[in-house]
Amino acid sequence: MKMIFTIVKKELTELLRERKTVFNSLILPTLIGPVLIIVMIKVTQLIDKKQQEQHVSIGVINAPQDFLALGAENKLNTFIPLESAQDFDILFQENTIQAALIFPNQWEKHLANLKPNQVDIHKNSSNDAVNKRLHHLIEQYQQKLKDQRLQQLGISVDKITPFTTNYIEKGEQREIFGKQFGGFIPYMFILTMWGGCLLSAVDLVVGEKERKTIETTMLLPISKFKILIGKTMVVATLGFVPAVLSLIGLLGSIQFIPDIPVFLKDAIGSILNFKSILLTFLLLIPFSIFLGGSIISLITSANTFKEAQSKATPIIMLLIIPLVLAMTPSFTLNWTTAFIPVFNIGLSIKEIMAGTIHMGMYSVIFTSLIGLSVGAVYLSHKKFSDENAILM
Amino acid sequence: MIQVEHLTKTFRIPKKKRGAKESSDINAVNQVSFRCEPGRVFSLLGPNGAGKTTTLRMIAGIIKPSSGEALICNLNTTDNQFEVQKKIGYLTGSTGLYERLNPVETMQFLGKVYGLTPDLIQKRMNDLFELLGIHEFKKKLIGQLSTGMKQKVSIARTLLHDPDVLIFDEPTSGLDVITAASIIDLIRSAKENNKTVIFSSHTMSEVDLLCDDLAIINKGEIIYNGTYADFKQEMNADSLTQEFINRVKEA
Repeated sequence: MKMIFTIVKKELTELLRERKTVFNSLILPTLIGPVLIIVMIKVTQLIDKKQQEQHVSIGVINAPQDFLALGAENKLNTFIPLESAQDFDILFQENTIQAALIFPNQWEKHLANLKPNQVDIHKNSSNDAVNKRLHHLIEQYQQKLKDQRLQQLGISVDKITPFTTNYIEKGEQREIFGKQFGGFIPYMFILTMWGGCLLSAVDLVVGEKERKTIETTMLLPISKFKILIGKTMVVATLGFVPAVLSLIGLLGSIQFIPDIPVFLKDAIGSILNFKSILLTFLLLIPFSIFLGGSIISLITSANTFKEAQSKATPIIMLLIIPLVLAMTPSFTLNWTTAFIPVFNIGLSIKEIMAGTIHMGMYSVIFTSLIGLSVGAVYLSHKKFSDENAILM
Repeated sequence: MIQVEHLTKTFRIPKKKRGAKESSDINAVNQVSFRCEPGRVFSLLGPNGAGKTTTLRMIAGIIKPSSGEALICNLNTTDNQFEVQKKIGYLTGSTGLYERLNPVETMQFLGKVYGLTPDLIQKRMNDLFELLGIHEFKKKLIGQLSTGMKQKVSIARTLLHDPDVLIFDEPTSGLDVITAASIIDLIRSAKENNKTVIFSSHTMSEVDLLCDDLAIINKGEIIYNGTYADFKQEMNADSLTQEFINRVKEA
């Protein structure tokens, strides 16, 4: 054991003197949470501001005066009276108008006779800001006319309302947020773990070949298994630490970044507590060993950084696809999904965050991860002991 | 002492490395036998790709022989790998040093791995740093040192555990004359200290300077094995280099 720690100390010292490792394994994961939140806030604010400040030109045919007056209350709306609908396509293409409304000729007559009218609304669905403004305006005008008509008929709104609804939330806020946002947490953890493991594994195995120190290492009077265990421990640590740092960054950002929407603060605050963090990280420890062992076994025969990265890249797809599936509400943790690697981590972390994890399934997932990590280390040992792979 | 008996190494070359349909076996070293005595310098001579490095790696326990055996101080390198490796100092022209450690950290790491006590590591390190003039750059990262400085550190790490057997694999390859001279001095002093020394080379001038016994290896097989004095006596060509070339061609 003492010898393994000597190897671990030496490998860690070497790795932490490499700027690329420090940046990717320590700085980047710490910053990823705050940066994501800041970007999200700024983008949301920017979109809101843009939507509020955007000038919208609406082409109108036969528009009633009261509608034009209502629309003109917002100074950013401009109405362009048009003679016919034939020019719409050109005007849309030239961006002279962003929407058009065609009111029927018989508008006033139908209104007076309490008959329904039809308004044709020409719009471009890709222009979200314009559509929201237009929708709001139409709703407002329609409500105004409904009220007028009810008044004209002498009917109160209560009389035409058979019932009202009052929804009472019975689910815990934590469960709701956990199921909605909990899927994002394993995604963030596992991707940062992947980055940390890959970079350190490539450096410690293929990097040694490139730097021509592998012969020196193979000459050390200790077993290759101990050398490999030392390297795997470092790789797993540099996979696990980024996950911890990304969590610290996320928790720090909700404490210190101003303007975070209250719902987001509540969501993160309610799902991340001591128990959920502990249960999550307990799963990530064997998973980081599994990831480290798998990457080492894949890249050991590579001779260059580039070759190693291309050999290991397919793993990322094997991680992303189950994680994305686990994020969707259609999949839940059960006795079948608990046995599917990676997918089970995504689902279980979602349940942990929601506070609804089944401890029996959790134990199964934890045990299967230990089994997988032992298997991955065994495979990497087989590869690492192969003279052809390591020295040629 | 090094004793090599019928040492053979067969490598399996995967098909993807050769672009062939089937994988194939290559005999890198075939039935090689020789003996190196303490207090004498043994030179393993051969052209590139002759099997020198593979032979030395098997002697050092880095790779396992396919058949035959190598004994270091009467210990089989396969059965007693770690014990054997503690008796060996191995040096190559490429230094093989960990570039993100400094010389002190390198010595401390290797000392621990070789099972030396902290006091002994400190003493050996001080003595070697003094002898080789490493003190002034002992805290600098190895990656920042010049080639000459690196080779000094490499010599220090080779001698740290005071090995009985020294193996040099083309130790002067790619080095300038001054740095190469320090390696030549090291081999000489090892001989004076009654160590067993084996070095591989394809340069006859080095052989002429240092060696007592000689083996020429070509295509994995020994084509000459004897004392250097005998080799010189049996020479037909005008120069050592020409004689070496002729023997390799004849083989």
